[in-house]
Amino acid sequence: MSTVKLTIDGKEVEVPKGTRVIEAAKKVDSDIPFYCYHPGLSIAGNCRMCLVEVEKMPKLQIACHMEARDGMVVRTKTPVVQETRKHILEFLLINHPVDCPVCDQAGECWLQDYYMRYGTHDSRLNENKVKKKKAVPLGPTVMLDQERCILCSRCVRFTDEISKTQELGIINRGDHSEVDVFPGKELNNPYSGNVVDICPVGALTDRDFRFKMRVWYLKTQATLCNGCSRGCNIEMQYGDQRPHHAKGDRVMRLKPRYNEQINQWWMCDEGRYGYKFHDHNRILNPMHRSEGKVEEKSWEQILPEAAKLIESAKGQFGVFVSPQLSNEEIFLIDKLFRKHLQNKQIFLISPTPDGFQDDFLIRADKNPNSKGAEWQNFRYQERTAADFFTACGKGQMQGAIIFGQDLLTLHGAHLAQPALQKLKWSLFIGSNHNLTSEFATHVLPSATYAEKEGTFTNFEGRTQKFNQVLDPLGDARPEWQILATLANGLGLSMKYDRTSEIFKELAEHVPPLKGLNYAKLAAEHDSVRRFAAPMVPSLMQDEGLIFQTTPETHPTQTTPSPA
Amino acid sequence: MPTSSAATPSLDKVFTAEVRQHTDPIVARYETKRASILEVLRFLMEKHGYVTLAMEEATARYLEISPMDVREVVTFYTLFYTKPLAKTRFNVCRTLACSLLGAPKIIRYLEKKLNIKPGQMTPDGAFALNTVECLGACEMAPMMQVNDCEFAGHLTEEKIDALLAKVQKRS
Amino acid sequence: MEKLISKYFVPGKTFWMEECLQDGGYAAAKSVFEKLDAAGTIEEVKKSNLRGLGGAGFPTGMKWSFVPQNTGKPVYLVVNADEGEPGTFKDRYVIAHCPHLLLEGIIIAAYANNVHKAFIYIRGEYVEPYKILKKAMEEAYAKGFLGSKVFGRDFALELVLHRGAGAYICGEETGLLESLEGKKGFPRLKPPFPAVVGLFGCPTVINNVETLAYLPFIFQRGAEWFAKLGSEKNGGMRLFSVSGHVKKPGVYELPLGIPLREIIYTHAGGIRGDRKLKAVVPGGLSAAIFTADEIDVDMDFDQLRAKQTMAGSAGVMVFDETTDMVEALLVTMRFYAHESCGQCSPCREGTGWVDRILTRIGMGGGLERDVDNLLDICSFMGGTTICALADGAAMPLRSYLQKFRSEFEAYIRDKKRVGGEDLETHGGSAVKRGEGASATL
Repeated sequence: MSTVKLTIDGKEVEVPKGTRVIEAAKKVDSDIPFYCYHPGLSIAGNCRMCLVEVEKMPKLQIACHMEARDGMVVRTKTPVVQETRKHILEFLLINHPVDCPVCDQAGECWLQDYYMRYGTHDSRLNENKVKKKKAVPLGPTVMLDQERCILCSRCVRFTDEISKTQELGIINRGDHSEVDVFPGKELNNPYSGNVVDICPVGALTDRDFRFKMRVWYLKTQATLCNGCSRGCNIEMQYGDQRPHHAKGDRVMRLKPRYNEQINQWWMCDEGRYGYKFHDHNRILNPMHRSEGKVEEKSWEQILPEAAKLIESAKGQFGVFVSPQLSNEEIFLIDKLFRKHLQNKQIFLISPTPDGFQDDFLIRADKNPNSKGAEWQNFRYQERTAADFFTACGKGQMQGAIIFGQDLLTLHGAHLAQPALQKLKWSLFIGSNHNLTSEFATHVLPSATYAEKEGTFTNFEGRTQKFNQVLDPLGDARPEWQILATLANGLGLSMKYDRTSEIFKELAEHVPPLKGLNYAKLAAEHDSVRRFAAPMVPSLMQDEGLIFQTTPETHPTQTTPSPA
Repeated sequence: MPTSSAATPSLDKVFTAEVRQHTDPIVARYETKRASILEVLRFLMEKHGYVTLAMEEATARYLEISPMDVREVVTFYTLFYTKPLAKTRFNVCRTLACSLLGAPKIIRYLEKKLNIKPGQMTPDGAFALNTVECLGACEMAPMMQVNDCEFAGHLTEEKIDALLAKVQKRS
Repeated sequence: MEKLISKYFVPGKTFWMEECLQDGGYAAAKSVFEKLDAAGTIEEVKKSNLRGLGGAGFPTGMKWSFVPQNTGKPVYLVVNADEGEPGTFKDRYVIAHCPHLLLEGIIIAAYANNVHKAFIYIRGEYVEPYKILKKAMEEAYAKGFLGSKVFGRDFALELVLHRGAGAYICGEETGLLESLEGKKGFPRLKPPFPAVVGLFGCPTVINNVETLAYLPFIFQRGAEWFAKLGSEKNGGMRLFSVSGHVKKPGVYELPLGIPLREIIYTHAGGIRGDRKLKAVVPGGLSAAIFTADEIDVDMDFDQLRAKQTMAGSAGVMVFDETTDMVEALLVTMRFYAHESCGQCSPCREGTGWVDRILTRIGMGGGLERDVDNLLDICSFMGGTTICALADGAAMPLRSYLQKFRSEFEAYIRDKKRVGGEDLETHGGSAVKRGEGASATL
């Protein structure tokens, strides 16, 4: 591939032919401000914020459109450029309503951030501002404020080029231009939430997040979405400083994280809004149920009891492996139940039936780790739950270990209930209440995937690590810890302090993972995050302005996340 | 929360066989269906007087583009009326040459005679008054376009009176 | 002075095919087909020093030579008949009186650029000229001057007449292309330039009506002859649209380089009522204004550029001593605010802002800092945008404020109110016609 060499702010940089100056500038840390540019969308060139000096050209040029050429000399910080930026900002603020106190975007607003960095001028405006529609629900997920809009057209380009649903457009002209939907229609497609991510200002805001929390109280952690087998990279953003807000919920919202190969800059609405289960309807304590009476137990009480039941069942029990479990946990199940206890009734059961799939991100398989299970020789269809229920009916089974699946709902209470009723015991290990957890004899609260770490393998065979975001709620424990304790009580020594140790071991046994470890996974992961467009970096931290936030608490600081 | 639009009229209600006799050849002249939109909308507008949302949606389907593509065009260009028209419409130029040669006086005179302000229509729907930008007829300033058709220039109060009389006589 | 195009400007008359042929119509085009090849045609046009007469003044022959002929894609010709620059009405005359001159020019241009399909984009408000042009096209098709075998040769030329719908920005060449493709008239980022990537992604030549209408003369009488009619590097004659406070407003065909004083006093009859001249707009609304003592200037592209204004569309608007320059600027900037497409921020916000400031000044609410603020604003409206509309707004704004500053200061100081315009009712840029909305300030 041929390259070109150019000079930006006195530093030489070499880039592939065809690279735009704005991308080339990232390589030398020249922060060129921009609004309308987005590496995942077509070039609009309308905000004019990225104007820079190019030697031998009389007018300033927009860096987002200008192609880097051999010998080009670019200057991004000259007085002319700075003055121009100031004036462009001023233009953008002319009709912009000063809604900051009531606008969700405050704290992550590009107008605020660039104003503090490049503007800081007193307003010269002595006129009325143009009035447009405010607080318009565009659809189930997005709220529009036309006055705040700077008409960068990112959202319109998104619905044209990415979701390809074309709901949004810009009507009228001049300073009466407005983003809108066709009268009577709404913004309603499986990816609608992304327009909120890419809107640099508070024109498009998330209805789910509306007024929930100020973003400077949010912490963020990089992890994965578990909503389907795509394994989109996300940031889980949570608050734990204001428990009196948001009814004590911790997870506030999910944002996509750039990954060149898997989800680029996007995530689907189903994944984005499917986080409530981390904080709602949780099983908080181990419980024992007998003769209709439910008794809370401690782990020290219930685990030995469970081990005894498993041992005495002598293989006459079913194990319902879930594709929601991590590779590490599935490995422990394999070691304990398949190899050590020689159990043959092991079923891979998905907690959800297959759903909608499209040719973009959404997969029909709504589990993050079906492939990981397959690599460890757990497959669907090899044996079904129906086989187990039949065996139960014949009195051949004593117990069942269920990893969170709601068998009663999945298979119908009329089929599953009588079968499970015939069992002496059922051990439910899961994070959220469901019909089956209300039925099982022993209920062990497990952590959600946000409360532990491990790896999932997506449908393409990409293995990715997910990180711990939160502490387990109540007395919940990660499945791998529960399994390790059980194993120790069943005569199989498991001395794992952390999941990285489990992964190292399992990598020896799973051929596609041979030689891998967490560090190597992380390095590979970083390599697909090249050329991600950074969000406006936190100014608060550099310049110690106003809020003295620490790096972890300011969301824009922790991960250089694409906008 | 936007409600779903009232029963979307089918494509054929707007683009009847008779209409298509005119619009199909128009569309055929262009390399893409979309490119014909200005002419197609103009045809619909001249037939019905103005463009409704239903016509916009039907046009979108007819040209195989999105409804928003049509909406953008209808709202961007000034010639597309989206409300019923007055029988006689005066579009008076307000740009430089006309302004310097007495357009404001003409406009105020018309306001007085018709008892409406620019942008309004008389209650009986007989007259509408608009101010518009340069129509490319500065040599006859001050001037106006009548019914989006003829140019009437070198306007004076007498000429306005005569024009109004002619219109009254016709009706 | 010999009349070329304006010979046909007989009030109320159109030169239809029959009379046109009797007058030698289409003979030049025929001779081009017979005697020259495409490259040779382009060379002749280069030699003629014909400049783009829509406003930009780009040498036509050079523009044609930029078109790549080896892309495998068809080359289109687009005729810009959008004539939106205020003060300009000459294309309307050409279309209404001598449409066949335009059609002949189109045929020559098509031949030179290997074009087999051309579009005429005529502004939607030109209803009568549209009807005339439509009929003239039918006549030309009937005679075989357009169609599958032009002049009976193996050269096809299909011509499509297309009406705009009321947007000044569609006179900008890439805004026109977007509009012709069925979208809003949003100008495109350049590069690529239309010559290489234009209509439907294909190489495209865009020429003004008048520019094309001169082509038959170039090939009838010779490129050198044409070049000599004008001034250095500005060949030929052009149609000056003269309006304002002159005794005889109208279209005057005069050589490139004619002194402005001569246009006003010799041809247009001088100032009405023999009043004193105050100011002149030399080249359409977007040109910087001249004061009365600046009119000893030769009207060609290069010389006017040297005087920090432009020849533009040759729309000459003449103001006499009764003119209120504040009102004139207000009306001017209101136009740009109304016509800004809204795509890029300096133009969208800047034109609206300037419109509101001037309206406020015109209603007696001016503030001391307003003039300096306006000058600062226009420095950053110009040179920062996708297209030249904002530059065209900045030029008059700066020149009025610099050359007539005292009038603005008087307004502000004395809280004067504009006498003519009724700013309450129709000040401001917000009115979309027919919507019943009254203007917002």
